[in-house]
Amino acid sequence: MKKKSLLLMLTLLLVLSAFLAACSSGDSADEPADTDTEPTEENTGDEGGDAEGDTGEAQTGGTLTYGIDAPPEGLFNWAFYGIQTDAYILELMDEGLIQYDENLEPQPNLASWETEDNKTYTFTFEQGVMWHDGVELTVHDWVFALETIADPDYDGPRYANVQTIEGAPAYNAGEADSISGLNVIDDYTIEVTFDEARINNLVNVWSYPMSRAQFEGIPVAEMSASEQVRTKPVGLGPFKVDSITPGEAVIMTKFEDYWKGEPNLDGINVQVIDNTTTVGALGNGDIDMIALQPVNGPEVEELENVEIVTYPGLSYYYVGFKLGTFNAETNEIVEDKEKYADVNLRKAMAHAIDRQSWIDAFFFGYGSPVNGPVPSNHWIAADPEELPTYEYDPEKAKELLAEAGYEDVNGDGFVEDPNGEEFVAKFSHYATGNPTFETRAQAIVQFWQEVGINAELEMAEVNLYYDMIEKDDPSIETFFGGWGTGADPDPTALWGSDQLWNYPRYKNEESDQLLADALDLEVVGDDRDARKDIYVEWQKMIAEDVPMIFIAELEEIMALNERVQNVEYDVSGSNSPHEWSIAQ
Amino acid sequence: MLKYTIRRIIGMIPMLLLISLVVFLLAKAMPGDSLSGEIDPNNTDPQYIEEMRERLGYNDPIPVQYFRWVSGFLQGDFGTSTRYKVPVADLVLERLPNTIFLGVTSLVITYILAFAMGIYAGRKPYTVGDNLIGGLNYLGLAIPSFIAAVFAIYFFSFNLGWIPYSGSVDPTLQPGTFDYWLSRIHHVLMPAIVLGALATASYTQFLRNDIIENSRKDFVRTARAKGTPTSKIYNVHIMRNSIIPLVTFLGFDIATLISGAIITETIFTYPGIGQLFLDSVTNRDYPTLMVITMMLSALTLVGNLIADILYGVVDPRIRLD
Repeated sequence: MKKKSLLLMLTLLLVLSAFLAACSSGDSADEPADTDTEPTEENTGDEGGDAEGDTGEAQTGGTLTYGIDAPPEGLFNWAFYGIQTDAYILELMDEGLIQYDENLEPQPNLASWETEDNKTYTFTFEQGVMWHDGVELTVHDWVFALETIADPDYDGPRYANVQTIEGAPAYNAGEADSISGLNVIDDYTIEVTFDEARINNLVNVWSYPMSRAQFEGIPVAEMSASEQVRTKPVGLGPFKVDSITPGEAVIMTKFEDYWKGEPNLDGINVQVIDNTTTVGALGNGDIDMIALQPVNGPEVEELENVEIVTYPGLSYYYVGFKLGTFNAETNEIVEDKEKYADVNLRKAMAHAIDRQSWIDAFFFGYGSPVNGPVPSNHWIAADPEELPTYEYDPEKAKELLAEAGYEDVNGDGFVEDPNGEEFVAKFSHYATGNPTFETRAQAIVQFWQEVGINAELEMAEVNLYYDMIEKDDPSIETFFGGWGTGADPDPTALWGSDQLWNYPRYKNEESDQLLADALDLEVVGDDRDARKDIYVEWQKMIAEDVPMIFIAELEEIMALNERVQNVEYDVSGSNSPHEWSIAQ
Repeated sequence: MLKYTIRRIIGMIPMLLLISLVVFLLAKAMPGDSLSGEIDPNNTDPQYIEEMRERLGYNDPIPVQYFRWVSGFLQGDFGTSTRYKVPVADLVLERLPNTIFLGVTSLVITYILAFAMGIYAGRKPYTVGDNLIGGLNYLGLAIPSFIAAVFAIYFFSFNLGWIPYSGSVDPTLQPGTFDYWLSRIHHVLMPAIVLGALATASYTQFLRNDIIENSRKDFVRTARAKGTPTSKIYNVHIMRNSIIPLVTFLGFDIATLISGAIITETIFTYPGIGQLFLDSVTNRDYPTLMVITMMLSALTLVGNLIADILYGVVDPRIRLD
């Protein structure tokens, strides 16, 4: 009996250690804050692309196997989905009123719009667009979506995209039966009034209809668990969901009545595969298409039957400096941390890092150094020549350090601060199961040590890490992070001095003013160039102030089997999947 | 025996309560919650996160949260997964058949291999065959299952193309048809072998050692002396005694059956409880995490009980009172 109780203890111990072991895994945290833009990723449907250089007409028929490297959560509705994996599937089966072109400019898709004053918009829907269940799309489906999201029982994260509509807050509080800003004129025309005139009302508003017929009689609180979302989703896109094997696969067939024309493919099988098997599965031709992690890139490049397509992403990595603290009560930032207050110190630390070789080593070249807080493919991005850049220059870094008064007084090879005290720069990086994180963080620490800054690395478990950054934990001094930008270029949520997610706690009234001006109709009006000029001005200021060292922007990498044709990507995502085809 | 069983079952109640407390506190001790971690600024905003924390009750004092959870649990309300937004019970039931199928297959493979190899090695100890089996077993014990899984995929799936490397079934087949079941068996085979390899090794060695030990006992010599055929000695006299330690394993196998193999399921993207468990830990999906852990703990306890009862069946000398 003794042996048995020992074994029992061992088992319990194993359960416990499974907890601990599992805490440290999860490679999904690898991605910088998600690279997706707004969910709309369709390119203009009628562009008729033949970028692959094949002979004219696309072949029809065939089933494409699309790989995803994590199981979907199963929330197959734009209003409820939360993760990228679900979005991959949604992009094949549903679409929105607006789409974005290669400059991330909104273009009409299911609806076109007109506005005089940027406050009231009139949307005109396409006629004859069918849901997969054969019901025609009308403006009521969009009203239904907006009211669902504004409903007090709604449990998804999209309310921010609806609350700017006049009357939505009242509806959300349960004070109104409908949203007063929505004025249905007929089945295909609707007038939407926002609470104020804003330049980004259109790109911000929720633009995905929800099938009113399908969700009839389902209370909003139960929608996310309903089969209309989970197992039998109905959309407007080129492919309809045939069957779902939870956690494994989604089988889709073409929707013959798709409004832009019958899709070329007969169907798409979306299959979940583990990262470890990606390369082999591509080589065998078992999957035709998959988004790759940079680490798999070099191996896939060697495969003869697979082509790699890269397109610019909208995310960037940075090393931030904690300059102050955020007061959650008053939503105010105070720049009260002295350690990195000297801009020359920050610049020296920026010059010390060899970004290109860092990217080559850890992202296998699928990325490039970025010089400001906007990924270079966004239309508001400043020309690199206009921005102060911090090239790898150890000598310059040492000079700047000396200028700022950081000198090696006691001869230990590392600089002391201007008061002669030991100076140790602490660098924090998040840890997951991914073993490269520690090495890539260590590399940055070494860059600093090479110019004479004594630096120390601290790895923190990823959830704890962001918690510490958000709460301005004193142990966080310099930190690694990533952000993504959406189609709406407004960076206020990440840079405003009243924002929780302004992680460096950077406070600059001029910056706040520029960000406000760029949205102010009285300052920029409808003039896109005027708006861009303000953003360029702002980027210059940020780059000059170095509240963070901008490290890299990554590319999105798609692997395509050679038989896959008519698939194109730009910064807004792929072309419409109904154009995709397979060479027979 | 009935009295004993009832006493044991009643004894489980405080144990389970204690486990629930530990599970809950450990889950809460993990940094962050289902809403923290890497943030996509385009997809969420701070107000929403704060509102959801309030709604999910994360801001309440820990004892309040604990009692809310336990009372829900006792009433059969296992909570709603924060990640999948469906009741945890549904989620677990959806995965359970896959895991049981995998577990049973792997057990069958384990038993067949272990008995065949164990008996052979036990009857012919210190021969080339025994050493070969021993060598194989130690190799099996030494190779971690995640390495074995990746190599198995590489050789048998990619190089030879014999077996699929992901999923539990070919999703294009109609459920219920013969092809469907054939495809399920085809899919489960490799993960089951990988999963069973480790257990096979320890089973075989236990069985072998016990057979050798028992074959030197006095009653075996007596049986030989009175002319009992060797096969009968081994198959009846020794076997029955040698199975006793294996019964201990059986108790644990019941929990293993459900817990599946966390790593193996993940690598083969086999959607079972193990994968769900790992997923719930990384995503701080407390309700799912706690339900699965409780379920596994309860099964371990039940498994032990069954093992204890089986002792009595296998060996009448053991009295349960």
